[in-house]
Amino acid sequence: MTDASHEVARGPHHSGGVAPSALSAHRIVKRFPGVLANDEVDFDVRAGEVHTLLGENGAGKSTLAAILCGLYQPDSGHLVRNGVALHLPTPRAGLQHGIAMVHQHFRLVERFTVSENVVLGSRDLDFRLKRGQIDERVAAVAESYGLPIDPTATVGDLSVGQRQRVEIVKALYQGAEILLLDEPTAVLVPDEVEKLFENVHAMTRAGKSIVFISHKLGEVVAISDRVTVLRNGRVTGHVSGKGAADARELARLMVGRDIEMRPQRATHPIGHEVLQIRNLSLALGGVGVLSDVSFNIHEGEMVGIAGVAGNGQRELADTIAGLVTPTGGSIAIAGTMCTGRGPIHSRELGLAYVPEDRLGTGLVPSMSILDNLLLTRERSVLVDRTSLRPEAARLIDQFEIKANGPDHPARKLSGGNAQKVLLARELSGGRTTTKLLVVCSPTRGLDVGAIETVRRLLNDARSAGQAILLVSEDLDEVMSLADRILVLYRGRIVHETPGETASLAAVGAAMAGVLQGVA
Amino acid sequence: MGIPVRITFEQRGDAPRRLSLLVPMGSVVAALVFGAVFLLATGYSPLDTYSNMLSGSFATSRGVTDTLALATVLICTGVAAAFAFQMNVYNIGGEGQLYLGLIGAAWAGISLGEHLPSLVMVPLVLAVGALSGAAWIFVPAWVRSRLGTSEIVSTLLLTYVGASLVEYVIYTPGSYFRNPNTPFPQGRLVAASAKLDPFGDSRLYPTIIVSVVVAVALAWVVRRTEYGYRIKVIADSPKAAQYAGISARRTTMSVMLVSGALAGLGGALLVVGPYGKIEPSIVNLGYGYAGIVIAALARNNLAAIVVSAVLFSGLRVGGEKLQITTDTPIHIGVMLQGAILLFALGGEAFRRYRIRIVRTGVAT
Amino acid sequence: MNSNIWVLMTGDSVAIATTLVLAALGALFTERSGVLNLGVEGILLSSAVSSFLAADASGSIWLGLAVGCLVGAALAGIHGALSVVFRANQIVAGLALVIFGTGLANFLGKPVEGKPVTTTIKPLSFGALSDMPLLGPVVFGHDVVTYLALVLAVASSIYLFRTRPGLELRATGDDPATVDAQGLSVASIRIRYTLFGGVLIGLGGSWLMLAQSAAWHQAATTNGLGWIALALVVFAGWRPVRIVFGAVLFGFTLQLPFTLQAEQITVIPSAVMQMLPYLATLVAMIALSRPGSRNLLGAPRALGQPFVRDER
Repeated sequence: MTDASHEVARGPHHSGGVAPSALSAHRIVKRFPGVLANDEVDFDVRAGEVHTLLGENGAGKSTLAAILCGLYQPDSGHLVRNGVALHLPTPRAGLQHGIAMVHQHFRLVERFTVSENVVLGSRDLDFRLKRGQIDERVAAVAESYGLPIDPTATVGDLSVGQRQRVEIVKALYQGAEILLLDEPTAVLVPDEVEKLFENVHAMTRAGKSIVFISHKLGEVVAISDRVTVLRNGRVTGHVSGKGAADARELARLMVGRDIEMRPQRATHPIGHEVLQIRNLSLALGGVGVLSDVSFNIHEGEMVGIAGVAGNGQRELADTIAGLVTPTGGSIAIAGTMCTGRGPIHSRELGLAYVPEDRLGTGLVPSMSILDNLLLTRERSVLVDRTSLRPEAARLIDQFEIKANGPDHPARKLSGGNAQKVLLARELSGGRTTTKLLVVCSPTRGLDVGAIETVRRLLNDARSAGQAILLVSEDLDEVMSLADRILVLYRGRIVHETPGETASLAAVGAAMAGVLQGVA
Repeated sequence: MGIPVRITFEQRGDAPRRLSLLVPMGSVVAALVFGAVFLLATGYSPLDTYSNMLSGSFATSRGVTDTLALATVLICTGVAAAFAFQMNVYNIGGEGQLYLGLIGAAWAGISLGEHLPSLVMVPLVLAVGALSGAAWIFVPAWVRSRLGTSEIVSTLLLTYVGASLVEYVIYTPGSYFRNPNTPFPQGRLVAASAKLDPFGDSRLYPTIIVSVVVAVALAWVVRRTEYGYRIKVIADSPKAAQYAGISARRTTMSVMLVSGALAGLGGALLVVGPYGKIEPSIVNLGYGYAGIVIAALARNNLAAIVVSAVLFSGLRVGGEKLQITTDTPIHIGVMLQGAILLFALGGEAFRRYRIRIVRTGVAT
Repeated sequence: MNSNIWVLMTGDSVAIATTLVLAALGALFTERSGVLNLGVEGILLSSAVSSFLAADASGSIWLGLAVGCLVGAALAGIHGALSVVFRANQIVAGLALVIFGTGLANFLGKPVEGKPVTTTIKPLSFGALSDMPLLGPVVFGHDVVTYLALVLAVASSIYLFRTRPGLELRATGDDPATVDAQGLSVASIRIRYTLFGGVLIGLGGSWLMLAQSAAWHQAATTNGLGWIALALVVFAGWRPVRIVFGAVLFGFTLQLPFTLQAEQITVIPSAVMQMLPYLATLVAMIALSRPGSRNLLGAPRALGQPFVRDER
């Protein structure tokens, strides 16, 4: 473990010497049924610095953050704030001590205005809501940190980046000195990430402490003064000093071995067209979601759809899968039109679909693996489970699914195993052999081992000649797997590039809606 | 500072099997204890009340046959409720559908006359009753599956309409359903071929077999058939159903119609069995509402409903006999029904969660 | 036809509407916090009979009303405990409360069934104002609880949309996770408003008994008003002031059969007339749930869903 105690803090209040910790956690242990989420974790943050908690999904970062802000109670261990032992029974107690969390899933009431959201739960509010006064105060706080927002706007109408700003303003308004940012860049385009980083610097200059929670190495290196790496609930490393953090070293600490993201592309010649989309458009409730989308996918080809969440990707996948009837245009699978004819018809033509929401859409949680295999297959009037049993056992074996046999309920599967069950069902074909596979965010929330398996399965399917549509918000994933990348922005394809020669800058710019000028 | 202890709910991975039986039984006991306290507080003897109830329901052969006789209807209304509840469709208007079943069956029984043999007539009357129940839920089912209108309120409102309808067909002079030969309002008797005979000198009719067979058959349908599979998918996750191309709209519609038909069948069984006509007092008996309690206590398990219906039937039969033997108000039975259900709902938490009291002192 | 009848009837509709306004406001506060309490009918019945017993025994209307409110709060408390603490299915819990409340009311009411209500709430006297033609009976012919219900509706609207606790209440019904993250207790807010809702429903039930009924009789006392109140909340889009208009409308439909009967207008049989309010409610509900109707937009988003802090 690298010790950081000699590092000189860069906060404005401390021109020399070691700054004391604003908040520290000592030997924190937290258990959930079946999981040891935090195992004797030590952590501290000083005024005016960015201290990053780095780790994989499930490493225990969010649990530690939840303990730091009072949302969870540790099973053992304790917190110290400015040298005084601290007990935080609730998030409110955390706020009283100046500790606030900006959640990954925003905690904002969509129907409320920005200022209503900012003042919600605040202690100094009068009984009567004086809207004008509140709006002014909120705008003033936002302005003082260089975070312009319209206090009268309804949150439901704001973009993701703007909502995040509202969350940060809310924390600052409530007097937060220590801000915990939980995966703040996960939902942002590269451009917005830049802006967030500027805001973070503005806050540290003002003496605030930032706990930055992330699993993305690149941004961690760029923003952090110090980095603490967690793996399986334990601290595996501690690196300090800007630039001292080396991405390769961090990666090793994070996963316990060297990982490499070697791009994988189609190895076989690309065959006939399997999916043909012409001028597809879709409006839901009068709002345009997709407009004039046209593209093809061939046998043995993987096409990646990149884009920021909410730009029509999910609707595109649902429309191709026959779940939604498009307002205009056409879809053909293997040369047969299937526009608006429903999912069963599309499946009969060779479609398979792995939706983003695994447990709840792709799989029925309360049902067994066996019954879940039946979900997209043809079922006779009397459900025949007996004859499917051997096949279920074989698939469990083949896809290395950790389960106690075909009767294992889906809800008790881990994320990775649930995804493997889904892929097993979809790749093994039901009504006919699979020709076209549509997958949405196939590795989201999975651990490294499962990610590797899922990517291998997708590659094998491609090598076997299946056409694949990969929809993912993980840009790295799309960049390293897809043979062709299409960028969807506000329901339109704004950029197309071969995967081999794609530039991160160009794709990022297209995702942000900046089309021209970036090479 | 607050209280130094905190109650935590930990989700159990799997509910232990013994608790699945223990919780409903425990809630019955708890409700009986609650009822005893209540009886004491209001100046009645709980011991007398309960022993009288028991002897009226389960302790004598007369009591047992009476209990089973009532259970005949309650199984139907219980299955009607559970069949919809299992898909998170809350048809709580089984009461009204039961009235319509009664009216429909009486109409068939009267208008078909004496031309048909019993073997044809009885099934026909039952079928018309079931269809009438289904017809009564048609509008709520249609608007629920098309527009998403809350079936809870709509089915219930129609129950009040149904009650007025029963009164209308009996109290209106010259009504088709009114017995023309009596001066005071009374239902007109159905054809003799539409009536079954009771077992011996009891008040129990062979219709009990119909009820039990229906419950068991439906349990089988849910377990084994494609239709049952669809119901389970929709119940658990409508999104998964849509993903798989299962039409929630059509299945919801059909489940509600079946539910209405089952409640209607309950009414028809009364016509074929003990009533032989429309009995206007039906609107005060609440057999349809009892079905909701029975379903909830059996946790919507269609086969277990037979057991919980018999239990409830005993409670009611015992409660009704109280009036004759003591001066305890008969409504203690209804109150106990509600209390059992309330306790069972609270008890569910113990089944699903591991409940702990945690000390939350300052950690040092 | 005598136009006075219609004036009187409008006055009577306003009177019946009192119970509806109170019960619907009670349901509205409960639902705004995210708890669905279907037990309104059971609470109305229990509070009606207990207010009668208390008023009859003590001779005090106020004691009667107070006991009715307390019983309302107690029954709502059962629902609150089951749905908030024990996280039970709120629909089934509400139905259980209807059955329990009905049984309880009948049990308690059995000894006094048919006994006339002697301690009754009398209309306030506004002197000459009450004798005015047209306006007199419609505006000035009511008792204190009726006026209180109107004031409550307006006050509720201000409370919901113009105060800090109102903001917190609306947030709890819409997005409990956010309220929880703010360090406010979702459970305590939900329990508090469920109890308060019970008090209002209890007041409605007591008033129905002490101001409107001649004697205790279950079927005749509430006659499904609790269910109509629940439909009314949907009808009003979860807004207090709209509840008043809806309630007067329903009050009118409910009163119509009695007025026609009193006037010996027998073109339509009374049994058919009795169906009218329920059918009207049903039609209104269906009309409001057609696609594009803006009313359902007012529905609290977390209505009926137990809040569990997302611990993994």
